[in-house]
Amino acid sequence: MTSASTPSLPTTEPTPFVKRGVRSAVLRNVARYRPVYVAYGVLGLMVILYASLDPSVLNVNELNLQVSSGLALILVATGQTIVLLIGGIDLSVGGVISISTCLAATKFGAFGDQILWSVLIVLLGAGAGLANGALIAYVRLNAFVVTLASWSIFGGIALLILPTQGGSIPESYTSALTSVYGTIAVPVFVVVILAILWVWFRSTRMGVRMKAVGSSSQSAYLSGVSIARTTLLAYSLSGMFAALAGLFLVTQTSGGDPLIGNQYVLPSIAAAVIGGSSLAGGRADALGTIAGALIITLLGSVVFTLALPTYWQPVATGLLLVLAATLGALVQKRGEGVKL
Amino acid sequence: MNLIGDGSLRREIGFGFLSAIILFVVAIIVEPSFGDPSNLRSLATQAAFIGIVAIGQTIVVLAAGVDLSIPWVMGSTAIFAASLANGETSALMWVIPLLLCYGLFIGLLNGIGVTLFGVSPIIVTLAMNTVLQGATSLLVGQSLTGALPSGLANLDTKTVGPLPVDFVIWMVLAVITVVFLTYTGFGRRLYAVGSNVRVAEFAGISSIRVRIVAYMISGLTAAIAGILVAGYSGQSFAQLGEPYLFSSVAAVAIGGASILGGYGSYIGTLAGAVVLTLLAALLPILNLSAGWLAISYGLVILATLSLSKLRPDQRSVTT
Repeated sequence: MTSASTPSLPTTEPTPFVKRGVRSAVLRNVARYRPVYVAYGVLGLMVILYASLDPSVLNVNELNLQVSSGLALILVATGQTIVLLIGGIDLSVGGVISISTCLAATKFGAFGDQILWSVLIVLLGAGAGLANGALIAYVRLNAFVVTLASWSIFGGIALLILPTQGGSIPESYTSALTSVYGTIAVPVFVVVILAILWVWFRSTRMGVRMKAVGSSSQSAYLSGVSIARTTLLAYSLSGMFAALAGLFLVTQTSGGDPLIGNQYVLPSIAAAVIGGSSLAGGRADALGTIAGALIITLLGSVVFTLALPTYWQPVATGLLLVLAATLGALVQKRGEGVKL
Repeated sequence: MNLIGDGSLRREIGFGFLSAIILFVVAIIVEPSFGDPSNLRSLATQAAFIGIVAIGQTIVVLAAGVDLSIPWVMGSTAIFAASLANGETSALMWVIPLLLCYGLFIGLLNGIGVTLFGVSPIIVTLAMNTVLQGATSLLVGQSLTGALPSGLANLDTKTVGPLPVDFVIWMVLAVITVVFLTYTGFGRRLYAVGSNVRVAEFAGISSIRVRIVAYMISGLTAAIAGILVAGYSGQSFAQLGEPYLFSSVAAVAIGGASILGGYGSYIGTLAGAVVLTLLAALLPILNLSAGWLAISYGLVILATLSLSKLRPDQRSVTT
């Protein structure tokens, strides 16, 4: 009797069933996407605030300028976002960025060398990330402590390559990466390509697997996802993005610095969290991270324009970080309530 | 649980002390003057600073958290000490208690953020670190460097018997910590909450209160260390606490505690603090640069972690 009547339930009461389904789907999507919307809302407010202080900044040049100065943070934070997605954390990006700038400042020469070394540096970054991933996935060490240790190791290697700030970056390299096509500078194109790649990546099989591992590694494992392979890839990508960040950073600093990467570790996490990512894993979106990184960059400009003492930037970033994380925790809770 | 934990933990702690002894022997062989009383006193003082901040870090890690606000709790405490005391030793009578309360208060805020707001400890304490960095400049003005009153500035030259004062303070705090963790109800509740919050709650433990107290202790020990480091340097400066973020976590990790909480002991951390201090002292003797020091720090942490994983009786702890 009951088994016969069960399939007919939807047909007997179609309206409430469909309604509930639609509403819960909408709610789920709102809960899922809200942090990113909030991040872009805050970015919009920042732009309005900045423009109201100095209306002359509303032009393409300023966009080029802001994106160029924020690009290193955007790149490293994108790598961090991927690691956060699987529920990990990568503190070693600081060391990788430093190595990257030191190698660039000491090895770059003719055009051919630049390409060769750029590729090598990116591969080295990926290799460094792979080493982190292997220790986490196979030796099963804690990600926080492993990457804290490798941050120290990579930072030490950077100091061996270049003990103090110095070296030089060829003019041809800098001008190639900062050149303007039409009215748009290369870094803006890079960010647009990054965003498109992310939108593609998050719906690929690997992207979905990473989200699954971050949401519940046990469930992911039970549905046949290789935790080890996912972890290795996520940390390799993070290392690769950190190396790329270093390669863009040298166009701004025009030299190498064995300590410069240390300044990017905490902001990379902050940018991701302000962009709506959660340290608990399973909820991370590089689109939000791009907004988060731009918010942090713009904060610096606003503080500068207002002629406020520079310490206002860390204070504002810190408060924004707590606010975003608290909001994220609340949304997460509501999202859990809606989840089936 | 006895004084230094179960069998597996005891081996990890043994490993920590063993590496400390090996490092010391190597140093003595390469540079015989390494064993001079003056050098030993200086090492004991250095280790005391790491050891004291690591008390708080150990307790927070045992409660399955982490405190990344240590650098600027230390920095701001030192800076406030210099500006509040304004060079007068007599003012320390009220400045020091006030600053210890300040450390407790920052810890309270961290604890509330982690427990009541449910935000990840990494984010709460990280944000606290940045906010303190700015807030200190805001309150004190741009000159963060200030001289400490002579009563505090000469603390490192004072001794109790043959031992430096900083070291004696560390030992007293260490004994209190070990007794506190091992023999009090709070210590047992801390381990319970760190192992499994839900089970601890079912057992009637207020996990919120336990975790908040853990962060408060960390704020307190960071404030103590901030005052002592400033006393050692004779002045306060902005970067004063920066090295201690890494070394406090490293000491805890080398000491065999699990970063996931509920597992570890302060005696292990103590060994970790000694290992880190000896490494830092050994490398200049071997003519190795700062880069090698950073590399060896990282390798020691990875080696300790991997060794504890390779043991067959190690409890399975997943990332």
